[in-house]
Amino acid sequence: MQEYKKTVITKDQVVPIAERMRKEGRALVMIHAFINNEGQMDVSWDYAVDPAVESYHVIGETVLPSISGIYDTAAEWPERELNELFAIEFEGLDVSRRLFLPEDMLETQGKGQIMVMPLSELRQKNIEEGTK
Amino acid sequence: MSYIVPIGPYHPALEEPVHAKLYTEGEVIKDAEVFVGYNHRGIEKLATERNAIQTLVLVERVCGICSHSHAMTYAMCVETINGIDVPKRGQYIRVITAELERLHSHFLWLGIACHIIGHDSMFMHIWDERELVMDLLEKMTGNRVNYAMVTIGGARRDISDDLRRELLAACDKLKAPLDRIVEIALNDKTIAMRTKGVGLLPREDAIRMGAVGPHARASGVRIDVRKDAPYSSYEDFDFDVPVVDSGDVFARVVVRALECYESIKIIRQALENLPDTPINLGNKLIKIQPGQAVCRHEAPRGQLSHMVVGDGSFNNHRVSIHVPSYKNTPTVPFMLRNNTVADAGLIIASIDPCFSCLDR
Repeated sequence: MQEYKKTVITKDQVVPIAERMRKEGRALVMIHAFINNEGQMDVSWDYAVDPAVESYHVIGETVLPSISGIYDTAAEWPERELNELFAIEFEGLDVSRRLFLPEDMLETQGKGQIMVMPLSELRQKNIEEGTK
Repeated sequence: MSYIVPIGPYHPALEEPVHAKLYTEGEVIKDAEVFVGYNHRGIEKLATERNAIQTLVLVERVCGICSHSHAMTYAMCVETINGIDVPKRGQYIRVITAELERLHSHFLWLGIACHIIGHDSMFMHIWDERELVMDLLEKMTGNRVNYAMVTIGGARRDISDDLRRELLAACDKLKAPLDRIVEIALNDKTIAMRTKGVGLLPREDAIRMGAVGPHARASGVRIDVRKDAPYSSYEDFDFDVPVVDSGDVFARVVVRALECYESIKIIRQALENLPDTPINLGNKLIKIQPGQAVCRHEAPRGQLSHMVVGDGSFNNHRVSIHVPSYKNTPTVPFMLRNNTVADAGLIIASIDPCFSCLDR
């Protein structure tokens, strides 16, 4: 079983931790997000501290610092994806063009609604708006 | 003269939908941009309305090549959250399937690479040999694609003694054609001329951009989840991780060809030492306990990670899937620079991109 270590941090700690990890030569596994049971945004930065994954969570924030200056495209793409799916704003990140979702979907269904809104509500919204 | 050359999203040289914009001066690419997302299916969203067994079926459909990798990684996450220990025989069967999957994926890619190079006889030869692997997968799992070998807590199908002997014989049978393929790949003039010094990704840039898998190992980065964070009993097997320093398309050919030998080595060891335990803990539906896990697997294209969040119900609260192409695709514009337009298709293909995986 692979080890998974979870630590809750503040948004001010995101960049220093990324810098430390980069200095230690740790790979950024991924940046994830989800809405927790309390309805708060839970964003996590997972680093490979082999053989474990160290996961640093910021809870309840939707404006966060970007670490794309530290981890380049390995951070830029997940940050852009989370911006599309959850409308999380990463300060300084260029989100002027789409990554995964079609532009018309971002316009008609609303950026950040895809993972936040329950599927049944999304389907109903599509029916009402005449889109599929 | 400066031109912008668009390639894709649907293009005869690329089997999957991706759009690249090449900014050229004459024949030389000065810069490039890659656009993805033409195949987005909302699988992560769909997973939030499914239980663990249904999700195994769903995540296998993320990709037609590394379907087992997705099911295995998802199952590992649920098992971690629920504290389930998979019986040793189940772990070994998962490994055998994963390594057969790697073999067929690498054979597929080597064939495609030869096709793009223009070496079609080699393409047909490799794909002919790949059929042997596909037959084994079909015999073992019942399917050529989407093997459905994984269940929460183990493997779904056992390997009988007869099948075990047959698989071991097939390992011997694969050796000679693989030797021939590697010999041609390493020594053929056409392959060397089209791949050596093309699409360079130096080691420091591979690390900077977070490249993974054979793509990173072809740039001298020694990473492999099977060694760095062993899972599913990979620590029981003796195998090497081929690493090449040159960072060009040729290095990617060599790394993948050599990895085929290591996969055969692992399959052989797993079959010879197949533990005498149950294969699973009963194929029953379980609630996913409140908690979260991130698990990693070395898929054929590199590190695959899944994150699962459970809330105590049968359904997933969240599933997040991050595939090797997610890390490797952003390196493409860098590799395209200062190469010719004629090599663009080959360079894009050299990361073994999977846009079905990437778009999810």
